[in-house]
Amino acid sequence: MLSLRAAARNNGSPVSLTRHIRPVTRPIHTKTVTDADIARLAAKPLHPLTLADLCKHGHPPLSEQALFNSANFTLAILPSRLAHRIQSLRALPYIVVANPNVSKIHDNYVHSLSTLLPIAERKIESLKDEVEFTAVMADLVQTHSNTISILARGFLEARKYISKVEVTRFLDEHLRARIGTRLIAEQHIALHFSSKPHQKLSDGHDDDKMDHDSYIGVIDTELKPANIIRNCEQTVGEICELKYGVRPTIDIVGSPETTIAHIPMHLEYILTELLKNSFRAVIEAGTEKEAIEITIAPAPASPEETKETKNKAGQMAHAEVGAISNYDQGSVDYASGSNKPDISASANIRPLREATPGVTVRIRDRGGGITPENYEKLWEYGFTTFNEDEINEKVSGSGGGGGGLDVMSGGPAGGSSLAGLGYGLPLGRAYAEYFGGGIAVQSLHGWGTDVYLSLRGVGKVD
Amino acid sequence: MLCTLPQRTCALETLLRLPSALRARAFATATAVPTPTPAPSSIPPPWRPSNVLDDWVQREARPISLRQLTFFGRTLTESRLISSANYVRLELPTRIAHRLRNMQTLPYAALTNQHISHVYELYYTAFEQLRKVPEVRSLDDNDRFCVVLQTCLKEHLSVIPRLAMGILEIQDSVSGDECDRFMTTLLRSRISRRVIAEQHLALTETFHSPWHFDGKKSHTPPDEEFVGEIFLKCNAKEIIEECAKAASDLTAKAYGPDVVLPKIVLQGHLETTFPYIPSHLEYIIGELFRNSIQSVVEHGGSSATEPPPIEVLVCEAAQHVIIRISDRGGGIDRSILPYLWSFAKGPRRHQRLQNLGQVPRLAATMQELQLPPSDPDFVKRSSSVDMTGENFADSSSLGKLSSRSPDLRIGIGLPMSRIYAEYWAGSLEMHSLEGYGCDAFLQISRLGNKNEVLSTRATMDAV
Repeated sequence: MLSLRAAARNNGSPVSLTRHIRPVTRPIHTKTVTDADIARLAAKPLHPLTLADLCKHGHPPLSEQALFNSANFTLAILPSRLAHRIQSLRALPYIVVANPNVSKIHDNYVHSLSTLLPIAERKIESLKDEVEFTAVMADLVQTHSNTISILARGFLEARKYISKVEVTRFLDEHLRARIGTRLIAEQHIALHFSSKPHQKLSDGHDDDKMDHDSYIGVIDTELKPANIIRNCEQTVGEICELKYGVRPTIDIVGSPETTIAHIPMHLEYILTELLKNSFRAVIEAGTEKEAIEITIAPAPASPEETKETKNKAGQMAHAEVGAISNYDQGSVDYASGSNKPDISASANIRPLREATPGVTVRIRDRGGGITPENYEKLWEYGFTTFNEDEINEKVSGSGGGGGGLDVMSGGPAGGSSLAGLGYGLPLGRAYAEYFGGGIAVQSLHGWGTDVYLSLRGVGKVD
Repeated sequence: MLCTLPQRTCALETLLRLPSALRARAFATATAVPTPTPAPSSIPPPWRPSNVLDDWVQREARPISLRQLTFFGRTLTESRLISSANYVRLELPTRIAHRLRNMQTLPYAALTNQHISHVYELYYTAFEQLRKVPEVRSLDDNDRFCVVLQTCLKEHLSVIPRLAMGILEIQDSVSGDECDRFMTTLLRSRISRRVIAEQHLALTETFHSPWHFDGKKSHTPPDEEFVGEIFLKCNAKEIIEECAKAASDLTAKAYGPDVVLPKIVLQGHLETTFPYIPSHLEYIIGELFRNSIQSVVEHGGSSATEPPPIEVLVCEAAQHVIIRISDRGGGIDRSILPYLWSFAKGPRRHQRLQNLGQVPRLAATMQELQLPPSDPDFVKRSSSVDMTGENFADSSSLGKLSSRSPDLRIGIGLPMSRIYAEYWAGSLEMHSLEGYGCDAFLQISRLGNKNEVLSTRATMDAV
């Protein structure tokens, strides 16, 4: 079972599979990336990803040929995604990209592209090539695992030179694209390890879940949100206990036995962030004795979307030129200028094939709600109401300050495990929206907050 | 502060004194020659010169807040009443003129639709009547003016369903979004004009009532409950309970005596009060309850077991009151979700159109409306406090809409409720848990110091 505590520790990045992969012994070849390369790759339109894409190579364990297909599919779409990111970064003001933190991220992307270029032109048709490719994927995932905290620091330092609106716009697009890129890479890695040719390579001991029938790479086709909720309740609850001496509880109502096909890492991240908010709110409001009510509501299977609703959805996506909607999935970016809203929007809206059962999770707390002023800033990156001293005063004050936190947060320095970065909500929403879901927050100032998390799963998988 | 002197009437008169040749060159607003046998659904309005309207369109509407309305009405003197009359006298034609211009700039195919055309005619007639009212200088002038006001209010009772039908019919010539913007603008303006007019009529009635003493500073205690139409102490709990009962009774009538209705459970800050216009609140909450009760009853099928209760929460904060209505009626169907707040319904258009045509007395023409002249056209104070079904239903168009049978789904409840909610700077949100139920959040501004939300030039240009 994938370690869930790691999800709480890692700010922003769900636990990556690279923790379980043996270190690569062969060196990775790189090729210098030229501006021409970037321009050429960025000119290609982006491939909008669906969950079905990730499953189309078949049920694990994959045969050798299926494995090659997966590798080639990944290889075909990754370089242009990276190129788009690089161009996007380069479109930011010079003084922002010159910041050492932002600059590091830029260099990471260039490095990753440099590792892909040597193999990008070839097709993968031998196990040797495929192993080399997987090593490149592992390197990619590893390199970019701390992007969010580093970028956050960079933008914080450069806040004088770039407006909040621009930061939000850039990050919305960038982080969504990042979700897709990591997903593609991690999916291939997971399929690689569970494939027939490589079965003897897998660790075995902690990845039992991946051999289980329900998994296809990183997707669990029988994911039970209730389980994830209980696990996150544990994790976040422990942090609260350590820090404040009290531990809020959760009541699950509705249909707890609901399952959907989704990516556990994503759901863990989202729920952890949402629970952090709720738990902290009820502790500060003094209502931690009242259980937080979480309703799980399975959406009924519906027939294929009618043409009308598709068009209406298309209209909604067009609503503001340049606005990022979940349909874009990071495939739209201003910087590269390589796409016009019409083309990309029409390319992005995929007709849903079979019934796509989904689920809505409603989290209702009595934590006093969100003040109207804070509500305006809810979705801003870097906005947080977390003030450690304030909270320690309110809550008995016997709890240790930073000391206790560091024990739990095994992540990089600066990663407060309860709150602080201000990225939880916007990033959680990016994850939820990635496959057509979403997060809506309704504040009842003076009473509590209701959060609606809707997720769509993948349809029937052949 | 409501006092105003006519500013543009002299310009208007100059214009009218122009030689006819120049006047005739004014840009025509409609076709001069109707076709010999027009199709019944296409009735072009008669030609009129547009310059008369231009002057009034130039004026900006002056939005008002609940608080201003309240303070103004608290101490009634003759001079204040006359100021109010003059404010209304100028504000109404200004606002109607803006809407007329909106309608004139709709595509030709849209304006010639029989329903839209009918509404356009109504508006134009009202505009003509109101703009010709001379300055009010005495109580007698005011009385004459009030008669004109009442007539206008009565005649316009059928506007909402006619507009709704028209919108559904012109879907081929005008996009859904444009229709929604148009409808929203029109309805906002309509609410605002009726609020202003009804408030003035109520103040006039107060002034003339036997127990009013001219000029005395509040003969009634300062916290008197009503100031014109505005009820200063709307209590959330009372209104919710009344609306719940009314909606439940209606549903029981429609579904038969065997239907098991969900209970309605209240919690939260139930003692909270705020100033509001009761009929607006009752409409919104009534619509929300109708939707909730109906969906619970239908979702439960024919099972005789107790359906899950509808939970209502009242939450009070410094500046807002929020009412949350949670039901377990199965949520909103994905196919209609994009059209929830739209007047231009999607898949269910035809059914809605048919139903609209059947709503009793709503599509009535002028001749059929037989309200006695002495019966003022706004909700009587007593009836809004007791709120029995019949009283409410007789006296206002909102009332008629609310008392329609649950079978008639006309699809405008939510968008209309939102317009009403937003009118005094509040909001209405819905969150659906597909397959489970719905949560509605009605937010009301408590202090009454926010101005009416009108679609001004600026907001429309910004779109």
